[in-house]
Amino acid sequence: MTTEAMRSVQEFILGRNPKLDRLDGDFDLIDSRAINSLAFVEFIFLLEELAGEPIDPEDLDLDDFRTLNAIEARFFTQKAA
Amino acid sequence: MVVRDIEPVVLDLDRLEQMAKSDYYNPYTAFDWPEAIEADRPWMSESLTTLAGTEMWDELTRDQQLALTRYEAINFFSLNIHGIRELLSEVVMRIHERAYAGVSEFLHHFIGEENEHMWLFAEFCLRYDGKLYPAQPRLAAGSMDHLSPPARELVVFARVLIFEEIVDHYNAYMATDETLPRIAREINRVHHQDESRHVAFGRMMFTGLLEQVARRDPAEIPVIAEYLEDYLQYSIATLYNPAAYRDAGIPDALNLRRRALEHPARRAAHDQVLKRTRRFLNRSGVSVGGSAA
Repeated sequence: MTTEAMRSVQEFILGRNPKLDRLDGDFDLIDSRAINSLAFVEFIFLLEELAGEPIDPEDLDLDDFRTLNAIEARFFTQKAA
Repeated sequence: MVVRDIEPVVLDLDRLEQMAKSDYYNPYTAFDWPEAIEADRPWMSESLTTLAGTEMWDELTRDQQLALTRYEAINFFSLNIHGIRELLSEVVMRIHERAYAGVSEFLHHFIGEENEHMWLFAEFCLRYDGKLYPAQPRLAAGSMDHLSPPARELVVFARVLIFEEIVDHYNAYMATDETLPRIAREINRVHHQDESRHVAFGRMMFTGLLEQVARRDPAEIPVIAEYLEDYLQYSIATLYNPAAYRDAGIPDALNLRRRALEHPARRAAHDQVLKRTRRFLNRSGVSVGGSAA
């Protein structure tokens, strides 16, 4: 499930960034603008759907979304632990 | 803030300023707010809901359909409130900048009126539903930082304009929709009336700033066009709020949202909402996409 979900996350980002051909786990998605302000809402909804848990828009920690590693740790491995 | 490296914006705003004065009303006393709104009437025009024209709408019970109009009305007004908050703060920061001295008089009307709209929308939401939907998360990092000063200024005022034109499409329709409760119709009507001045102003600002960008570096125009097309799509997508679907008792809200956004009937509806704005942008020389372009 985790691998499948992370694949969907990668597809979302690569699909919106044709100039990127791969994503390293520690690549900064926000500073690089791979996820820009306008795409961020869609990205949150995608993560909600994949993780099966709501994300409170008023209580976000940006660092949870900064890299693929951080996203996996926050949304897809905590529940399994 | 200091807006540097842009030429003074000079516009003939006498007519709009006169209209702002002659059309002025006190929003705090102008409305007769009923204690409650009829639950058996839509609060938002059914044809403007995010599921209109799809089998997803037909599959809802009548109670769910009416609930969806209620919560999408609250979402629409909440989006107005958050949009105004964000855009107003940009305008407030510029009102006494040297470059905008020539339009400062009208900006005072703009700020005052937008503040009043924000109150009107919030009053409706809090009085009849006890809540606003929260603002959608945004990243503070500006994706336009690499552009020249006039291009950045153009984007700020283009966002104001786009936001207002989209909202006005909805207001104009609902202002005369007799199926709506009177207070909902009235709020849409007065907003439509005020926004017509703001849209006229916004288009003049856009044209003036675009001329500066074109003189300085026309290669920036396609970059701006791409951003504005994204902003058009983003703005439409904010109308599809999963929280509103959940509140209306509709299951599987995120999946429904995705299906609705991709539905051909909805894509056609989006093109209709954006038609006027895309036509203006394209005629101005900022080529935005979409089948209505």
